[in-house]
Amino acid sequence: MNYDDPDLLDRLAAEYVFGSLPSRVRRRFERLRQRLPAAEEAVLDWERRLIPLSASVPSERPPARIWDAIDQRTGGAARRSSAGSWRSLWPVWGFAFGIVATLGVIRLFPDAMPIEAIVQDRGTLPQSYVGVLTDAQNNAVLLASSTRYGRLLSIKRLRPVQVPSGRVAVLWALPRDGAPFAVGIVPMAEKATLTLADTSEKLFFDVPRLAVSFETALPARGATPSPFVLTGHCVKLW
Amino acid sequence: MVDPVELQRLLSRVALGDRRAFRSLYDATSASLFGVAIRILNRRDRAEEVIQDAFVNVWQRAATYSRATSQPMTWLTAIVRNRALDVLRSESARPVESLHDEEDGSIHETADERPDPLGLLERAVDETRIRDCLGDIQGPQRQCLALAYYHGLSHSEVAARLVAPIGSVKVWIRRGLARLKLCLDRPQ
Repeated sequence: MNYDDPDLLDRLAAEYVFGSLPSRVRRRFERLRQRLPAAEEAVLDWERRLIPLSASVPSERPPARIWDAIDQRTGGAARRSSAGSWRSLWPVWGFAFGIVATLGVIRLFPDAMPIEAIVQDRGTLPQSYVGVLTDAQNNAVLLASSTRYGRLLSIKRLRPVQVPSGRVAVLWALPRDGAPFAVGIVPMAEKATLTLADTSEKLFFDVPRLAVSFETALPARGATPSPFVLTGHCVKLW
Repeated sequence: MVDPVELQRLLSRVALGDRRAFRSLYDATSASLFGVAIRILNRRDRAEEVIQDAFVNVWQRAATYSRATSQPMTWLTAIVRNRALDVLRSESARPVESLHDEEDGSIHETADERPDPLGLLERAVDETRIRDCLGDIQGPQRQCLALAYYHGLSHSEVAARLVAPIGSVKVWIRRGLARLKLCLDRPQ
């Protein structure tokens, strides 16, 4: 079949969403939509178009046991996924562990290696706040780090990020209690720095998680974020 | 009808692993999605499995939801419909073995207690004010659209149900979809 033909793609997408394709053709089109963006777009168009037809279907409350089963399955899945993400982030956590180990030495031998010595030796303070942001597949995509009293956030891009045209990638801090707030626009370079509105200590003290969404501009204070494309833990190392 | 903005907010929170938001999302949408699954599968037990699978999928994929491309209910309904259609197709492809067929010579079928799909289509058409567009699609052609969408029947299954040639069913569905596209894309 010639899948470059937009009319053919539209007809197949229409019948795929409508539900009338036979099993074999349906499976073939399912594979096609995963690798051909034009097919996926045609499917999204038809889903949007046909959704009013589902509105006439009477609602029916599922029995309570369904939620219990979902809760159980997602709780287990979340734990497994969490374990998996820690394993997949070994290189990143190796970096973080290096910092912790260095700081451990400082704590054990404060006279032998005062923090000032580290600063003198490295030219900078070790990073205090470290965030690792992953995509939906648990791939580490961005590493954000900052010194405790610094106003610069270092961003290291570990994988390419496809920012849609006309949008910017915005970094959000998600406080333990309270609404998310925009930290700034993430520069799309392999290594970059982002100037913070305040010191890391003040901004991230109560922030266990970070996230990135695509926005048209840096959102105003109190704005609701778009769906997050990257999320991750924010850890205070010392 | 749940506020789409609220559903978008809940999906954003679910993407962060917020279980309370996940429960709220389930409470707000599961009844309507369960209705959709039951209509397609005609079996409550299968529809319950589909809803379970669909919400596990939502929990795992919420971060991939993009409000730029879909309304939340459109995205959720597509997940449920696709899962239900996959289950339906795999069941219809599975050979049915019965221990009793040889004994009494009868075929046992589950009674279809779902509302008439044509009635659902009529209601939807009225609510979306596209009646005039589908005005000249009547009789078996109209029923063919209703059976395919609400009961998830394939071309050959619709043909068997309506005792019509499969070639005609394919043409009716294609023509009906072209007409629906014209109607539903028209600004209201």
